[in-house]
Amino acid sequence: MTASSSLARQNEIVMPYKDSDRGRSAHIDLRDHKERLFSDFSVGKIKEDFQENYSEIIDQYFRISIQESKTGQELFKKKIPFALVAVGGYGRSELCLFSDIDILVLFQKKIPADAKNLSEELFYPLWDLGLELGYGVRTIRDCVKLGKDDFEVLTSIMDARFLCGDSLLYLDLMEELQKKVIERYTLKFIHWLEGRNRLRMNNFGDATHLLEPNLKDGIGGLRDYHHIIWMAKALYNIRDARELEYLGKLSYQEYHELKKEIHFILFVRNHLHQLSNRKNDRLNFEYQEEIAKRLGYKKINKIPPVEQFLGKLHSSMEVIKILHQSFLLGHAFKKQKSKTTVVTKGISKGLHIIHDELSFNSATVILDDPSILMDIFVQSSKHGIPLSMDARRLVKEFLSLIDDKFRRSSKNFNSFLDIINNNNAENTFNQMFETGFLDTYIPEFGHIRDRVQFDAYHIFPVGRHVLETFYQLKNISKEKDILLVDTFADLRNHEILFLAALFHDIGKTGKGHAKRGVKITREILNRFNYSKEATDEVLFLIENHLFLAETATRRDLDDEKIIIQAARHIGTIERLKALHLLTWADSSATGPRAWNDWTSNLVQELFFKILHILEMGELATPDTSQKINRLKRQLRKLSADTLSIEELEYFFEIMSPRYKLLTPAADIMHHYEMVKDLKRQIDNQQPSPFVFNSRENKQGGFWEVSFVAKDRPGLFSDIAGVMALNNINILSSNIYTWRDGTAVDVFSVTRPLDAINPNETWNRVIRDLVNTFSGKLALSYRLSKKASPIISSSSKKPSLPPTVNIDNKSSDFFTIIETFASDRVGLLYLITRTLFDLRLDIRIAKIGTKGDQTADVFYVRDFDGQKLEDDAQVNEVKMALLHQLQSEAP
Amino acid sequence: MKKLEVIIKTFKLDDVKEGLSALGVKGLTVSEVKGFGRQRGHKEIYRGAEYQVDFVPKIKLEVVMESELVEEAIKVIQEKAGTGQIGDGKIFIVPVEEVIRIRTGEKGKDAI
Repeated sequence: MTASSSLARQNEIVMPYKDSDRGRSAHIDLRDHKERLFSDFSVGKIKEDFQENYSEIIDQYFRISIQESKTGQELFKKKIPFALVAVGGYGRSELCLFSDIDILVLFQKKIPADAKNLSEELFYPLWDLGLELGYGVRTIRDCVKLGKDDFEVLTSIMDARFLCGDSLLYLDLMEELQKKVIERYTLKFIHWLEGRNRLRMNNFGDATHLLEPNLKDGIGGLRDYHHIIWMAKALYNIRDARELEYLGKLSYQEYHELKKEIHFILFVRNHLHQLSNRKNDRLNFEYQEEIAKRLGYKKINKIPPVEQFLGKLHSSMEVIKILHQSFLLGHAFKKQKSKTTVVTKGISKGLHIIHDELSFNSATVILDDPSILMDIFVQSSKHGIPLSMDARRLVKEFLSLIDDKFRRSSKNFNSFLDIINNNNAENTFNQMFETGFLDTYIPEFGHIRDRVQFDAYHIFPVGRHVLETFYQLKNISKEKDILLVDTFADLRNHEILFLAALFHDIGKTGKGHAKRGVKITREILNRFNYSKEATDEVLFLIENHLFLAETATRRDLDDEKIIIQAARHIGTIERLKALHLLTWADSSATGPRAWNDWTSNLVQELFFKILHILEMGELATPDTSQKINRLKRQLRKLSADTLSIEELEYFFEIMSPRYKLLTPAADIMHHYEMVKDLKRQIDNQQPSPFVFNSRENKQGGFWEVSFVAKDRPGLFSDIAGVMALNNINILSSNIYTWRDGTAVDVFSVTRPLDAINPNETWNRVIRDLVNTFSGKLALSYRLSKKASPIISSSSKKPSLPPTVNIDNKSSDFFTIIETFASDRVGLLYLITRTLFDLRLDIRIAKIGTKGDQTADVFYVRDFDGQKLEDDAQVNEVKMALLHQLQSEAP
Repeated sequence: MKKLEVIIKTFKLDDVKEGLSALGVKGLTVSEVKGFGRQRGHKEIYRGAEYQVDFVPKIKLEVVMESELVEEAIKVIQEKAGTGQIGDGKIFIVPVEEVIRIRTGEKGKDAI
């Protein structure tokens, strides 16, 4: 601002804080005016023009106090010219409540001895009032030299504004500065500014999506605006921000938008200063709710005021950030570019490349065919070249051409998919986001763009978060965790995952965002006429995008049932992989608290466990789901008279998954009666409670035995031993452990030797079981005493050598032991007893006999409930079993 | 006064927190931790690459209370955090010399 315009301004503005009553000294006026202004601000009488008013009050102080100053008078008499110049933020009339006030006392060639007195007279009252004042006493040459040596000082002087004294001195200073520093070092200065940007990015981050943005130094903060002005001053020698518009450096719309947002941020900053009662530019959490209230935000659609306020603040800062960036690209760097040849080859009609930027040939090409608005982004991603500033401006201006027809065009949607699938998607999407193209093409996206969640968990507003999620996937090759890279490579359809990433939070306009997101995304994809199958997959991922993270942190991953349910819910390996990748991308784009080593370990564990279940197939296929549903219906019918629905539900819950798959409904009802009986025994505190049942299978020529008791290690071996003692051979068996710890064992056994009175044998079995459980019968001793005729009769047949396999891979929950040997009475006891001695708990057993060969499979864990991870232990088990199988074989 | 350092399974946090609150515990500190005890880590192989997890993710609670409350608190934690499986966790009980609320300078019982 020139001296004359500053003087003119002084006369034209009628200040509410101007006091014509000149009986008092300047600093008393200042104190009163300042107090009044601050209190007016507190009660909302002064709003967004606080800083202009405040600057004016200080200006007024200087103008009056210089007249009152004795030294000032003397210097005037001695004809030593001097001037008071506001610099820095004060020079820009941007004084917030606790801003520093920087001032320059300017002399022509020499600083007189009186200068010290002058400063004391002018500045002491200000310090006494508690203002943060910084001042320098300098000659014009000092200023020029300092400005040349330190660009920081240069920027402060570039903002200089004449206050009072000799205005010619001020004009000289500005002219010297322009001639000797700015014109000579323009490029160096621009590069220095660019370096400052990087520094700001590192130190303060991108404020447009930070939850505690720095209003001044963050990217998108006031500094961006200052940079625009400094660049314009250096490049075009403008004097005033307003000239940006007059000289056409910014369009009318851009300039006024910029001004408006700057005022908003200054307004927020003033509130922040007042609340924190100090100079503070970081918008801390603790003040945000109060500021939102003061700014008059009210709860709308259940969105709390503070979230609306942050949304508005972020979008304001976004406007500033983008204007700054495009100014930097369009003005500062354009001048340096040498390559001016226009390239049109290999690019769509209507577009060209110049200065390594994409541009429209003219505005009319857009009017002729609006789909070029999509096309320019396709070309940008295809060639990895950004849109020029003019092109961005044109996109913005012609957004209104994007109508329903544009959105429904399958050509445009295919172009959109091209961009999504392209490797340069990130840069292109940023431009689509910043120009507003994305919001216009997919209006639903606009609804979540600036949504903020007021917590320390989500570090980005929703719109930015969604993009970051998508970029995580696009940049997955840089990821250190190879599992993610590998599963991504294995994925058959990446487009589905990308679309799910872009739309996963589109429902964040209210509660239950995953479900809402499904509904909204369905509408969007139907509008684009996307294939039905692929749409369903996208929707599945969106609906379940929290499923893995929630299950991993809130459920017991050592519970096989949880894993099987999860596997059934997900259904296919492809979906599981996509979901795992989406979980990672979503969480790491949410913030460091959502994704870290701790959570990733849990999610990874869950991923592997579900993967193994899906790979094995048997427990999780859609087929089994149907089977289990059918079983439930059958049970309901069978139990209609005996069981309430709640009882049945509970009962169904605790049954193990394998049990449900392998047991007919009628048998389940039968077992249920036994379980009830067992419960009665337990309630009556009967010693060693169990329930035993046997019935003949006439067609099969064998007997079916059911046994129910509280499970404990060694139980199975006891039963096998008692059977052997009574010369009953176990042909096959399934043993199950329910979730409440009940063991339900089902055996098919040979017919008792006494075929006429089988029940006598069974009674003996029951008696032996009671005695074994209560410690009155030593099974090993009795069995060894028993000279079994059966063993010797089968001993002459040729037999294969016994084998033992131990499989630790197939199940995440159990070590699986398979034994093959010639069948004989007592064999099962021997194996199970050995396992018990090795402190292994048999949770599932499948006993099978083929001819005279047995094939027995045991799912075991140690008494702590863990698999056998130790190789030495695995070997020990194997050797012990082989030893038993061989030594006892004749 | 005693400090209880409690290691529990990750999905048991809410249950334990509720149980302790019902007991009148006014505040506690929660951290996400990793470690091992008798429950070991595990190894996975995917496309030839090994994924070794040496440490098991757990939740650590730290809560300071008057000594009279400790016995009851232990009962609640055992009941709420138990699954009967390995890895249910541990409770360490440590004597606390003094507690001071920074803001007010209150000490002892009042500062908990």
